[in-house]
Amino acid sequence: MTSTLFKHVRMIDPASNTDMIGECLIEHGKISQISDQSGGITPPIDAQIIDGNAKILAPGLIDMRVQSCHPGAAQKETPLTLAQAAARGGVTSIVCLPNTNPVLDDPEMLKSQCRMLAGLSDPVHAIKVYAYGAATSGLNGESMAELGLLSDAGAVGFTNATHAISNSLTMRRVLSYAAMLKQPVIQHAEDPVLAAGGEMHEGEHSMRLGLKGIPDAAEEIIIARDLALLRMTGGHYHVAHISTAKGIALIRAAKAEGLHVTCDTAPPYALLNDIAVRDYDSRFRLSPPLRHENDRLAVLDGLADGTIDAVASDHSPQDRDVKSLPFGLAEPGYSGIETLLALMLTLYHGGHLSLMQVLALTSYHPAQILGLSGGQITVGAPADLALIDIDRSWQIRGQTFASLSGSTPFEGAPVQGRVLGTWVDGTRVFDPKS
Amino acid sequence: MGVSKSKSKSDATDPMAAIALPNRHLLGIEGLDRPTVTSLLERAHSFADLAPREQLTHLKGLTVFTIFFENSTRTRVSFDLAARKMGASVVNVPVATSSIKKGESLIDTAVTLNAMHPDILVMRHQNSGASLLLSKYVNAAVINAGDGRHEHPTQALLDALTIERRLGYIEGLNIAICGDIANSRVARSNIHLLSILGANIRVISPTTLVPKQITEMGVDLYHDMEEGLHGVDIVMLLRLQQERMQGAETPSQREYFHRYGLTREKLSLANPEALIMHPGPMNRGVEISSELADDVERSLITTQVEMGVAIRMACLEALAFGLINREGKDSKDKAQGIS
Repeated sequence: MTSTLFKHVRMIDPASNTDMIGECLIEHGKISQISDQSGGITPPIDAQIIDGNAKILAPGLIDMRVQSCHPGAAQKETPLTLAQAAARGGVTSIVCLPNTNPVLDDPEMLKSQCRMLAGLSDPVHAIKVYAYGAATSGLNGESMAELGLLSDAGAVGFTNATHAISNSLTMRRVLSYAAMLKQPVIQHAEDPVLAAGGEMHEGEHSMRLGLKGIPDAAEEIIIARDLALLRMTGGHYHVAHISTAKGIALIRAAKAEGLHVTCDTAPPYALLNDIAVRDYDSRFRLSPPLRHENDRLAVLDGLADGTIDAVASDHSPQDRDVKSLPFGLAEPGYSGIETLLALMLTLYHGGHLSLMQVLALTSYHPAQILGLSGGQITVGAPADLALIDIDRSWQIRGQTFASLSGSTPFEGAPVQGRVLGTWVDGTRVFDPKS
Repeated sequence: MGVSKSKSKSDATDPMAAIALPNRHLLGIEGLDRPTVTSLLERAHSFADLAPREQLTHLKGLTVFTIFFENSTRTRVSFDLAARKMGASVVNVPVATSSIKKGESLIDTAVTLNAMHPDILVMRHQNSGASLLLSKYVNAAVINAGDGRHEHPTQALLDALTIERRLGYIEGLNIAICGDIANSRVARSNIHLLSILGANIRVISPTTLVPKQITEMGVDLYHDMEEGLHGVDIVMLLRLQQERMQGAETPSQREYFHRYGLTREKLSLANPEALIMHPGPMNRGVEISSELADDVERSLITTQVEMGVAIRMACLEALAFGLINREGKDSKDKAQGIS
């Protein structure tokens, strides 16, 4: 394997909170030397030299919520298109939901899926693939799946994917058993009965549009209940794509109380609100739904003060057939993995977050939450890296995505921040020039 | 009966007196302005004044498709009749028995129908926003004949026409809209329209059948019907939309009638000559006592049905007028080499 020397790069390492101009050498798939001096590293004679022109070298993104669609939905995404999309977005590791067909509730299924997605797709674009195990058999929400076997097979947590574990007894058992296995339980916090038939956030706009509302209380109820259970069971509870002010307040209080609680959100909840639905455009049909402006502001506060630990793309690609429908019949979801970084940089350019925070939220923190090795620039760490021009502006166009799905609520949005290269274990998996 | 015959200045027999709408389609009342609404109503008055067997030819050569994804008798028949009276050809696209119900998407259906070059598409669909979606895929002008819980613009227009026929004005009237507001497109369209025309609107509904944000639309909200009926000139009842309800939003029909069913006793709390309206079909003994529904002095329900045809003639004509004007402009542009 060749070695690569990055010269004149601005290295930002959220793990050590350092931000410095210097050089970085990667050898044998790992970061072998870091220097803050120009010419401080003498590279091996065959090393490839990349002049960074003071652009940012950051840990590759770790996207902790991705619907792989494989196996079972090749019309929405294939392993290859997913890997290409991730690499273009500077994402070096993805964590897949178990809501495939068949469901990842079996250890052999889980292993083979990770192998399939990571290795066999296309070595040129290979990225690291992890998966959550199904918390319940067949995602039925009632009977616990084989959490121990799934854990041994490499699962990095347990979840019921796009549905909440709504049965309180089942949730208690899952939390308790996962605590024993030292694995997090990832919850889609939405009371399915209260939210039944819901099409968008419940509020003035749902009333005007005549769309069935999903109240913010649907999220609040599940989080409040789960926290009550967690006090009994102990363990690590993680709320996925948190979207409401009430939910964030509960997490903030739970952290203060000392419970082992974490949460993530996704760019739409930080950047858009329910007014976007006004023309019944199904690109804005998401789950959870786009919320009230006050909720969006609470998400920004939660990101800034650390209540929200991570940001995932919530990549949930949908094909045209299920998006070209009246709003309420369209499938929720969007293609998000290629735009995660650029959209998060919007929050940096807008003055809401520091660059360090943006990178921590999308790389180091997800790694910490799930116990993964990436997310840092330190000697000995895997060379999972992204070279980023944070100022380069471009316009989001779903048509140009590598992902099979071009449906994005950010269609046409101007953003700043382009990935110039992505490396996984020292191998370049994305080069915009090729 | 005191139905004041219209003082309409519009000549029903003159196709050039048609009203131009601001948009190619009629998808909702929201966004229309008062002059447009007023002239559309005036035009409809002139059609209502026509002799029953009068046949017009304003839409001769045009084709109107009606496509109803939800069952309907009166609205569909009303559009059908209105189009025929205007001289158009009408095709009622059967949905229940066609491939459309067998999983063909709305857009595929739209593309298929569009290939047959209809001039006007009248659609009812169970999902809010469906008519807007359809309008993006067809060359025809689209009339929304009801989309989910969103809007039903011709119903609101016919209600306004009915009130004007009977009272001669709408400005300043106190109008109560009662019943299942949450699931009602008629309520939303009527709130928009009657607001445009200057009425004072209140809604009367149990807490489970009205979103509290309804007051953002500029209406007063009452949960107690007896309190809400004080000083009201018109009581508009809405159908309990059982097919659009999920589970029990009210305890029982018996209890609903007890609290929100209109009886002569409750009506006596409104203004002395207060009138009753209902978009139909009625659930007698649920929204209204049967005896009151048949009281021709107080109930405008049959007039509403009658006015439905006149208002739809005006709407069809307005959209056709718009289409023809656009085509004329397009061909002129082509002749002049403008693309």
